[in-house]
Amino acid sequence: MTEVTLSNVVKKYGAHQAVHGIDLDIADGEFVVLVGPSGCGKSTTLRMIAGLEDITGGEISIGGRVVNDLPPRERNISMVFQNYALYPHMTVEENLGFSLKIAKRPEPEVTAAVAKAASILGLDELMERKPAELSGGQRQRVAMGRAIVRHPDVFLFDEPLSNLDAKLRTQMRVEIKKLHQKVGNTIIYVTHDQVEAMTLADRIVLMRDGNIVQVGTPLDLFNQPADTFVATFIGSPPMNLIAGEITTGDTITLDGGLSIQVPSSARGRVRVGQKVQFGFRADNLMPVGHSVEEAGQKTQLDLTVTLTEPLGTETLLFTNMAGTEVQAKMLNPRPITPGESFEFELMLDKCHVFDAASGNAIRT
Amino acid sequence: MDRNLTHRNRRRGLKVLHFLALFLVMSIICIPGLWIVVNSFRPTVEIMAKPPVWNPSFSLAHYRAMFGGAGEGGVPVFSYFRNSLIVSVVSTAIAILIGMSGGYAFARYRFRGKSNYFVGLMLFRAVPGVALSLPLFIVFARLGIIDTHFGLILVYVAMNVPFTIWLTDGFFRQIPKELHEAAEIDGCTRWQAFWKVEFPVARSGVASAAIFAFLTSWNEFALASQLTRSVGSKTMPVGLLDFTAEFTINWGGMCALAVLMIVPALILTFIVQKHLIAGLTFGGVKG
Amino acid sequence: MFRRRLPEWFVLLLPAIIVMAAVVLIPLLFSLYSSFTAYRLTRPSSLWRWIGTANYERILTDAKFWAAFGRTVLFLTIVLNLELILGLGIALLVNKVTWGQRTLRTVLMFPMMFSPILVGFQFKFIFNDNIGLVNNVLQSTGISDAALPWLVDGKLAMFSIMFAEIWMSTSVFAILILAGLFAMPRDPLEAAKVDGCTSWQTFRHITLPFLMPFIFIAMTIRSLDVARAYDIVQIMTGGGPARRTELIWTLMSRTGYVDARMGLANAMGYVSILLSILFTIYFFHKLSAARAQLGTGG
Repeated sequence: MTEVTLSNVVKKYGAHQAVHGIDLDIADGEFVVLVGPSGCGKSTTLRMIAGLEDITGGEISIGGRVVNDLPPRERNISMVFQNYALYPHMTVEENLGFSLKIAKRPEPEVTAAVAKAASILGLDELMERKPAELSGGQRQRVAMGRAIVRHPDVFLFDEPLSNLDAKLRTQMRVEIKKLHQKVGNTIIYVTHDQVEAMTLADRIVLMRDGNIVQVGTPLDLFNQPADTFVATFIGSPPMNLIAGEITTGDTITLDGGLSIQVPSSARGRVRVGQKVQFGFRADNLMPVGHSVEEAGQKTQLDLTVTLTEPLGTETLLFTNMAGTEVQAKMLNPRPITPGESFEFELMLDKCHVFDAASGNAIRT
Repeated sequence: MDRNLTHRNRRRGLKVLHFLALFLVMSIICIPGLWIVVNSFRPTVEIMAKPPVWNPSFSLAHYRAMFGGAGEGGVPVFSYFRNSLIVSVVSTAIAILIGMSGGYAFARYRFRGKSNYFVGLMLFRAVPGVALSLPLFIVFARLGIIDTHFGLILVYVAMNVPFTIWLTDGFFRQIPKELHEAAEIDGCTRWQAFWKVEFPVARSGVASAAIFAFLTSWNEFALASQLTRSVGSKTMPVGLLDFTAEFTINWGGMCALAVLMIVPALILTFIVQKHLIAGLTFGGVKG
Repeated sequence: MFRRRLPEWFVLLLPAIIVMAAVVLIPLLFSLYSSFTAYRLTRPSSLWRWIGTANYERILTDAKFWAAFGRTVLFLTIVLNLELILGLGIALLVNKVTWGQRTLRTVLMFPMMFSPILVGFQFKFIFNDNIGLVNNVLQSTGISDAALPWLVDGKLAMFSIMFAEIWMSTSVFAILILAGLFAMPRDPLEAAKVDGCTSWQTFRHITLPFLMPFIFIAMTIRSLDVARAYDIVQIMTGGGPARRTELIWTLMSRTGYVDARMGLANAMGYVSILLSILFTIYFFHKLSAARAQLGTGG
């Protein structure tokens, strides 16, 4: 069983505390993504799991064993580094087989394992080359090959796709997901890119300033963000937020003067006079006739488009609502000139209300 | 659980060993020098005492005698110091000019046989000072420049040029050619572009090359011992040997002289440490 | 008027070429010539007496010369190897220190800055059999009763000289290797840890290959200065007593200046020059090879 458990794990660098007591339970075979902005502590946490950083406080166990003081080589883990960390003076073949050689495995076993890893990742023609002679994507695959050769309990990925260009990144994302399906081990993956998190994770752990903000499946975080930070971090384009105040039991008056009914998700849980943030995604605001047919509570608004971003199947519209610039989507788009007005439909059921002071979602 | 404990203990144990080892190394490095300094302040009686006295007392007798000129057989310390200073400073200045010029040639130009010139220069440096002193002695004697500052300066320049070229070559290579080209576009002549743009950037490298050259000249013995004859031109290393040969009883005095020799070197060490390494390795690996 | 202008690089390089030619090349040629003569300082006219390779023959059949030569080679081999190993060890130790590294590096540079004469003097004092620090400590702590003849007994004297030389020059290796350690990328080291390497294995497979160019730079630089040992020996023992610590350079110096047999001394000089050049070329060659290897891999 290769579950990973973190109990109240703390990391301090001198006076500066990078990670504040996080608790996390990762099940066997799960693909967990630690995501968050730079400096949130995700890489530090991963490195503590790997044994590359000391644990200031708390406990980490892998497969039921506490590993706090064990060096990396005794934790039976593999790691793919952001800069690949290939051994520059060894060929691809030697890079792949290195760990097995160190473990003194018999030569036929090493050759077989290396060949298998190479074929899974398509490295067969590159075996004699040195890292300096490989492209970025090739190096990345060698780094992954090196990780799978040993059949460890847990795979750790530290921002492996950050140094690749956009097209290669989407390609490699698919490769990693396929790898997980094929090999099935527990994977802990760190990235700052929320798209990677959404597409790869079984569960996402969103971190900020050394704390866990929310843990859940990608759709959990997308549909039920715990606070404004999660709401704006997950999903592209980010959620629109407009400041407002609760004026009656079920009306929000937005700062620009517009009044909207309190969405069903928050009804009954707001008080009059409470300052709130009203949130909705671009997908929830669409022009009449260019949206999805869906039942549910809707509100009509007349808005003027200031800017368009055509994406092909849909167009992003920038418009001004209650004094704040928000983004909306248009399906089946036609060419638009800025300044055109439309009647928009806002799907109230999908909107969110957040307490302005704490940022937390108000939800039943 | 148990494995964690073993590793924790092992790490603590290693830390202690690490500290002890470093302490030992630093002691071995510092103790000889410190011993000399301490003894330069002890009266001769105490130095020679048997059984040895371990509580040092303090006395400036040796320094007074040394600077007094008289007594102790009259060691002309000031003369030695002056000679060393003149020879080292002048030879360094000239060596830097010649070396910078040569280093620039190697860094910026391509020409046939470049690596041969380079290797040739380095090999000249490999000639042992002692071996060179033999023919130089004869030649200089014929030319009448034995026992002059000029002769020694000439030799030290030749000694320092190869290494200076190596260092400045490395430093100039660090500076992108585009800087020089931008300066020329901005209206500078080649000469101006060099002095206004490239030289300032390489200044710290040149400074460390200068310090290195200075120290080489300041510390040199083999050539100086044969090419100088009288107090008028003997340098400090030669003076130290002479003193040692003549006065084997006066350890305190010799220690004082030694301290006088070390001090400039130590001061310069502080200044140069960062740059020296950069110079040596840039010239090496990236070159 | 001269129409042809000299190429710029040549003009820049000219002062260096002139100085080296005048001060080194020409005297060396002269030295070569005089090694084929029976030149004695006391009889200047003997400079013109050509005796062919007689001097060389005499050297090559002289037992004392071979003793000095052998001792020199042995000395250099032991000393350079020990300096490398110790320098490597010290660099690794200093590299692991988290704070105060700059101070340690500065302290490490002290021995490099001392004149070899100074180093020799230091240890002449410390190893003195009567009032030297070593014997005083040994006797005060009761480890040894008799005064050990550090500078007189053949083996002990060689040891003392080697100690002084190693003390002086280990820093060169330590500092340069430290620079190499500093320049090394950390990632492959962490990958090695994850791949299962113990500290020793990480060192052997990852660190050491990367350090090779730096090690060879250090060796090359050191080999340029091997003859500084002459200064140390001269002040510590003068090559004696009774030639027990005679190295090729002290023998040469005595033959030329004390015995005034310049022709013979110059012949010896040439042998010693060849020795130095051989060392230098050997290490420079290895340096280029190591650089090339890392170039494709780095």
